[in-house]
Amino acid sequence: MSEEPVDVLIIGAGAAGAAMAWSLAETRMKIVCLEQGDWMDPDDYPTTRAGWEMERFGRFGFSPNGRGRETDYPINDSSSPIQISNFNGVGGSTILYAAHFPRFRPGDFKIRTLDDVADDWPIDYDTLAPYYDQNAIMMGVAGLAGDPAYPDKDVPLPPVPLGKLGETIGRGFNQLGWHWWPSDSAIATREYQGRAACINLGPCIMGCAQGAKASTDVTYWPVAVRAGVELRTRSRVREITLGEDGLANGVVYYDADGLEHRQEAAIVILACNGIGTPRLLLNSANKDFPDGLANRSGLVGKNLMFHPYGMVTGVFDERLEGYKGPTGCCIMSQEFYETDPARDFVRGYSFEILRGMGPVSTALWGMSTGHLPWGVDHHAAYDEIWDKTAGMVVICEDLPEERNCVSLDPDLVDSDGIPAPKVDYRLSDNSLAMLEHGVARGREGLVASGSIFTTAEAPLPPAGWHLMGTTRMGRDPKASVVNEWGRCHDVKNLFIIDGSIFVTAAAVNPTNTIQALTLYIADQIKKNLTNLFE
Amino acid sequence: MSLGPEEQRTLASVLDTILPPSKQGQRAGAGGLGLVNHIQEVLAESPIMQPIIASGLAAAQAAARRRGAGDFETLPQDARQRILEEISAEQPDLLPSLTFHGYVGYYQHPDVIQTLGLEPRPPHPKGYEIEESDLSLLDPVRARPKLYRE
Repeated sequence: MSEEPVDVLIIGAGAAGAAMAWSLAETRMKIVCLEQGDWMDPDDYPTTRAGWEMERFGRFGFSPNGRGRETDYPINDSSSPIQISNFNGVGGSTILYAAHFPRFRPGDFKIRTLDDVADDWPIDYDTLAPYYDQNAIMMGVAGLAGDPAYPDKDVPLPPVPLGKLGETIGRGFNQLGWHWWPSDSAIATREYQGRAACINLGPCIMGCAQGAKASTDVTYWPVAVRAGVELRTRSRVREITLGEDGLANGVVYYDADGLEHRQEAAIVILACNGIGTPRLLLNSANKDFPDGLANRSGLVGKNLMFHPYGMVTGVFDERLEGYKGPTGCCIMSQEFYETDPARDFVRGYSFEILRGMGPVSTALWGMSTGHLPWGVDHHAAYDEIWDKTAGMVVICEDLPEERNCVSLDPDLVDSDGIPAPKVDYRLSDNSLAMLEHGVARGREGLVASGSIFTTAEAPLPPAGWHLMGTTRMGRDPKASVVNEWGRCHDVKNLFIIDGSIFVTAAAVNPTNTIQALTLYIADQIKKNLTNLFE
Repeated sequence: MSLGPEEQRTLASVLDTILPPSKQGQRAGAGGLGLVNHIQEVLAESPIMQPIIASGLAAAQAAARRRGAGDFETLPQDARQRILEEISAEQPDLLPSLTFHGYVGYYQHPDVIQTLGLEPRPPHPKGYEIEESDLSLLDPVRARPKLYRE
């Protein structure tokens, strides 16, 4: 079945696809977005019903391999100590993200210059700053001005509440002289642009039933759709096709019934995340690109970066009311962010303070860590940990390495028979040293805050949330896949806008930067429309 | 899999052994709270657990009878706890399975949730109140020079 040709075809309706659709809508071009998942129903999110805590092991789990949703595709991540976490639907992984929303710092864009590692980006912080500002307004970012870890920046909403837990940790960090600050959070702390205010439900990472968390199905998409963008759900792209002129001329995709469709387009924009984007390019190999579309550099799928996570949990002797408030958004610290020659690793990490756990999660955490016996001693032990835990994650900057990569699995396919991705990843010595340092400092910070004892796990296996680097950006076509504004060197009307194009990973959550970069690329497309393919 | 009446009684007693009533009496035991039904629902959805539980219950009952008791549930808590520890050596999956699912069912139960100082309700739509933040705690951080490199 062949659809009417369009001007712009966006593949993927997540963080990047939504921002691109919104920005390009003002051009009045005919824009279609193909998304393999569905629109989400906020009334279906777990916090609306009893038993909500256990749904993180089921339909609202992080791993597409365990959720049992036919809208997902399988990922072979058995050759990685970190498992992939993503979501397919309108909003993409913003449906399940924590909405921790920091920017990259200026130095993150030039670590070759500063620290003689990896590569500099072909753009800088000042170039992206106005797009960070624009994204803050569109997503509704909550935060507090005056953080010495960043250049001045404006956010439209007041910060998330610290709560007793955040204040407790803040006091401890003050004793140590450490930096900390209320997290920039994509959460409406007041009613904002038609979204209800956050009411501190807790587990943002299972979807926000209140609609206060800025997943793009409630931010960019409603505006983009009203402006005329067509969002076609349950549409899974098999391959991008190439014309005789060497330009992409459309895609082949399957609908919910498995019927094959052909969609032609003048511009194709990929927004499928750091795993899905290289997968699609590799699945689009043809006679001109036998190793994958736009892959003359050989770098499609290479240089996969996560943020290796460590998890430190402290148990306190008083209740912290940690079950209240956004799980992943409380306070953060960048005390150990920059390279210190006295350490045995380069670059650094952030701390993100997590709030506490619900009753079931507390019991299962106690069971798994050996702090909660069954039998006659159970209740006394449970009372020692219930509502008395505070978590802290160490978010390490990963460095790009070609050996860490996404390829096509020789056997595994999705429900439409499309080859699935395979991930090969190893932690570098640098990351391992950084994790060790971060866990030790994390324990120190929690003890200074009053923690009686701590537990730690590093790397954290299910923490493959941030997927970056697999179609990196650069000016040299031999050393990068896309140019400084997201256009593929090899296919002039094919753009990539997700985390795949990151040159380096920084040590903070990437969604804000993915969207700022998207808005920047959208402006470059608009400015260059008359000679876009030259 | 549907447990017979004797198996259900044994399971209730096993659950009460894993999660007994609290000493002050504010929390009931898991068996007394009716978590047998929760475990039966788990068994219905997890065929892999059925033989683990069935053989575990049979082993517990057999061990009780070897001790001269009529049934497992007639033994005192400490004796039942010793039996479960003994049979877990030969059936290593039994206690982890029952403990995991027992905890899940127990800490979702409205009566237990109330003893934790919470209302027995899902978070939405009522949510929770958090007191105003004391942002003066940030004064030492505000006083620091810039921490980033250009």
